[in-house]
Amino acid sequence: MILSLLLSTFLTVFIAELGDKTQLATLTISGTSNKPLAVFLGSSSALVFASLLGALTGGSISSFLPEVVLKSIASITFFIIGIRLFINSFTIEKEEKEEKENN
Amino acid sequence: MNIKLEKNENNIEKSFFSIFITTFTTIFIAELGDKTQIATLMLSAESGKPIIVFLGSSLALISSSIVGVLIGKWVSKKISPSKFALFTGALMILISIFLAYETFKNYL
Repeated sequence: MILSLLLSTFLTVFIAELGDKTQLATLTISGTSNKPLAVFLGSSSALVFASLLGALTGGSISSFLPEVVLKSIASITFFIIGIRLFINSFTIEKEEKEEKENN
Repeated sequence: MNIKLEKNENNIEKSFFSIFITTFTTIFIAELGDKTQIATLMLSAESGKPIIVFLGSSLALISSSIVGVLIGKWVSKKISPSKFALFTGALMILISIFLAYETFKNYL
């Protein structure tokens, strides 16, 4: 009984999380940094902490922070990361070209 | 050349903690009020066994971050860093637009 509940929760959450925005963000940070362990620890502890916070508050966090506010903050965060990556992309491209010319 | 090497070493030294914090903050903000959190709550209320549900959900979230980290590492080895930054940058902006639309569609 306990095992089947554990398994069904695992599968539900795992499948819901595949290709989700948090996983895509993890993928992005992992690919742009050279410390996969730091990304893994940061990402999994944030997810577990958010889940714990949700479980503790009973209702969702939206009982004291409206969903509109939460989602707006998330949207702005993703936008800033996106713009920073675009800027990085152009500076890295310049460096790559310079390296090629030097060689 | 020496200056460049020193700069690289500095980057590596400070990066573990700063990468951890950046990742934690980003993922935490993105996960609050997300559908998996709601699913966890519903399962927990339905079964009356919150600890088991919390364990199952935590294991699933940890596994999904392993998958994310591995895919990110794998893709970044296949294409150049500038292309990777360009693609993921576009992806992040798409998610941001989608989130903004989802949040404000009722007000449009």
